[in-house]
Amino acid sequence: MKVVIIGASFAGVAAALEVRKNNSDAEIILLEKQLTLGYIPNGLHLYWENKISDLDSAYFITKKQLEKQNIHCYLEASVEKVHTDRKVVEYIYQEQEEIITYDKLIIATGSSQLSQKISGSASENVLKYKRHHEAQTALAKINDSQSVAIIGGGQVGIEAADLLSKQQKRVTLIENMDYVLFKYFDKEMIQPLQQKMLEQGIDLRLNQTVSAIEAEGEQPVTVRFGNDSVTSDTVILGVNVRPDLHFLDEHIKLHMDQTIAVDRYMRTSVKDVFAVGDCIQLAYGDGDETVYIPLVNNAVRTGIVAAANLSEPKMAFKGSLRTIGTFLFGYYIASTGITEAESMFTDQTVKAYRQEVCLTSLPDSDTVTIKWVYDAISHVLVGAQMISKSNILEKINTLALAIQTKQTLEELQQKDYFFHPSFTQMIATTNLVSWLEERADENEN
Amino acid sequence: MKIEHFLEKNDIREVTIFKQLVLNGGKISYTDMLDYLTVAKASLDKDLESISFRIQSLAGQVHINYDGQSISLTMSDEFSLQQIYQLYLNQSVKVNIIRFLFKHQEFSIVQLTQELMISDSSLFRKIKELNSYLKEFGIKIRNGQMHGEELQIRYFYFQFYSYIEDNLGSSVSHSDKQIMQMVQAVESYLKVTIEPENRQRLDTWMLISKNRINCKDKKYTYLRKQMQPYLADTLYQKIRIIVLRYFSRYSIEVDEEEAMVHFVFLLAFPILNEHDFHDYTLERDRRAPIATIDTYIVETIIIHYKFRRLPYMLEREMFYHLSHIHTKLYFFQGDIEIYDYEEMLVKEQQFTGRNLVSFSNTLLDVSTSKFGINNVESNSLLKVGLLKYISLLANITFKMTTILQVGIDLKMEAIYTETLNQLLILNMRHINGIHVEAYQSGKVYDLILTNEQPAQKEHYGKTKVYVLSEILSSFDMKNIQRIVQELNS
Repeated sequence: MKVVIIGASFAGVAAALEVRKNNSDAEIILLEKQLTLGYIPNGLHLYWENKISDLDSAYFITKKQLEKQNIHCYLEASVEKVHTDRKVVEYIYQEQEEIITYDKLIIATGSSQLSQKISGSASENVLKYKRHHEAQTALAKINDSQSVAIIGGGQVGIEAADLLSKQQKRVTLIENMDYVLFKYFDKEMIQPLQQKMLEQGIDLRLNQTVSAIEAEGEQPVTVRFGNDSVTSDTVILGVNVRPDLHFLDEHIKLHMDQTIAVDRYMRTSVKDVFAVGDCIQLAYGDGDETVYIPLVNNAVRTGIVAAANLSEPKMAFKGSLRTIGTFLFGYYIASTGITEAESMFTDQTVKAYRQEVCLTSLPDSDTVTIKWVYDAISHVLVGAQMISKSNILEKINTLALAIQTKQTLEELQQKDYFFHPSFTQMIATTNLVSWLEERADENEN
Repeated sequence: MKIEHFLEKNDIREVTIFKQLVLNGGKISYTDMLDYLTVAKASLDKDLESISFRIQSLAGQVHINYDGQSISLTMSDEFSLQQIYQLYLNQSVKVNIIRFLFKHQEFSIVQLTQELMISDSSLFRKIKELNSYLKEFGIKIRNGQMHGEELQIRYFYFQFYSYIEDNLGSSVSHSDKQIMQMVQAVESYLKVTIEPENRQRLDTWMLISKNRINCKDKKYTYLRKQMQPYLADTLYQKIRIIVLRYFSRYSIEVDEEEAMVHFVFLLAFPILNEHDFHDYTLERDRRAPIATIDTYIVETIIIHYKFRRLPYMLEREMFYHLSHIHTKLYFFQGDIEIYDYEEMLVKEQQFTGRNLVSFSNTLLDVSTSKFGINNVESNSLLKVGLLKYISLLANITFKMTTILQVGIDLKMEAIYTETLNQLLILNMRHINGIHVEAYQSGKVYDLILTNEQPAQKEHYGKTKVYVLSEILSSFDMKNIQRIVQELNS
């Protein structure tokens, strides 16, 4: 069996390794557009945080490691066209037009920050640094800049704002919505962090849609939004990522948002063609709803699922909860499942409950604010958010599992846990109880 | 733009035949029909033949008989002229061009000539014709695409799918989860109730919007300009949040103007109910253009009719309807005239017995001049606007008309009086705003009808008296109607 995988980031690599695991004699070919593979997206942040000494350390896997598994990697191989009727992929490699046939094709091209609406955003002077070479350019450019404008208040944008303001840059952050990180948090949950941003001197422009970026040569950059504008030395584009799928033929069915339509086995509308990672929509929440959730965790899991189903459908994708966790402006924040605000799109009635609980039994214990979002009738947990000055990140995985296995709040109270006064209070943080904690808010009506 | 504009000349003639039959009680002589259509007998025969062929598929529901002397129409009870129109529209090339364009966003000439099975030259001609009608919407078909301001394009499609092709919303909405979600979000986030018929409109709109979402290079110049006074509007801000949040769930980069487009739609059409709209009026900026005109027009009406106190709920209702009219005038251009304008005017006039038309024209002059719109004859939006003003005024006058008490006091043998009383009451039924009964002494009336001049002048006090010349004569009826109108104003 000859398996061609387009794209060697998390999804493609996970798929390749899983195919190898399942099938020792499969011929596996990875086509990667970039010069390198396995780069950790936004590795630049790790560098700025001093977690790594240089960008070359921001890799989760190497070509060598893959080749050891007998996976052929073609770097700088840019796919031009897929002909699913003939099972052929056309690509350009070392300036030559090449074609390769396949038995099974896995599309794992990933996504990048691009905007068709913001005029001037494609300019080289507008920094995006998901990829290695982009990060190198960005690093040099930002070192020379005193002021930075960041477009987008999502995870990437806020992380950049935090790290750059620590480097004494003057940071302006422009966000569409009326608060930052709105995909993952309800407004009131993120207020402490937003407050901290302001204290740290971030010029926060909320409710503003950027219409144009004027960036020419070495001149300062002007970002226009509404009837206002900001001028800074450089600008970072931190908008939502989108896949680039120009090479598909007309047989592969797309969703309204131009992502590839796949079933739970990652099969596209064309036989023997699979799609994974950031170029598909994923099952989200209950039922058959699918949304676009470009996260590494989903890329890896869908890669594994596709690999398992190459010959016949065996393993269905369990769905995504959009689980995230990060450390920003002195706060550890984490989220999984739906937010209360987002529940407007479901026909389910949800209730929410917010509480502040101590993390340990010690006198100087830190606290965490947790928001529980649950079905009003069944009490099944559907979403959770946490914010704390202590590292509570790992706890979100427990709650993600609770949601995935449809636990009710009552069942969570019964969840088994370890007790140790240095690490827990009487009861585990993720066992919802309603005594002893500082009740931050109740929304029972 | 009119519905007929989608039809060919002979189609229009055929539809007119149906219409004349309906207007003439289902049967009409050849001579009358020939006069009406101003065609030769041979061509009428040809039309009738063509009709018979067309309605073959509707056997059992519609039937036309003709014998050279007269033409007659029979229709099943659940079938109406509307469906006849639909039958013709469904087969119209122009309708099919619009349908195809909507579905595919873009077409090549080859694609379309094959799909519609017509020649290049007739396709060009049809597109040219369509463009001449689309002009009032400020949009046109060029290079296989619809060009123009995005709001206008969606507005046109909305009118098209509401009046020309009416099965878009109802067929798809229940299976389309994304649209259900969006509507749900509108209800839950705006805390409003979308009534079933408004829901249908909203579904159609959402479907059109969904279809347009991936179109490139959308234009919003005029919309942006008109939206300037509304950027801080609470409803707009909420819609903006719904839109941004919704599209954040997909790999779609949404235009900021997408929220504006929905904001306009929500206010230009009856989507919110009167109650929810009222809540919005309490929050909206009263100095913004539409609210200003709403108030100005309401005041003009109140002054014109010298209403001393308008019932509170009626005033709310006026604001509700006027705001739709004014939002359309402020943001849109063009309209599809679904009712025959002239016919409608005549009907309204008969119905209300007053000349509401000239006052409505005054109102339209006020609103268009305040909005800076050129009052062009051919602008259907203004014509429809005028009709709506007239309807609103008629509605208000009905509701504000005080019921006049009319007493019938016939002086004759009791055996006659009772019968004639009943007959008179029946005859006066169609006169609006009166209550007629047999005279009871001691009760206060606004008008007394009698057949003999009262012996004493003071017999009925100061009440107006009309002496019938010939009971049940049309002469008397006319006079009574005039008196009622005088008393009412």
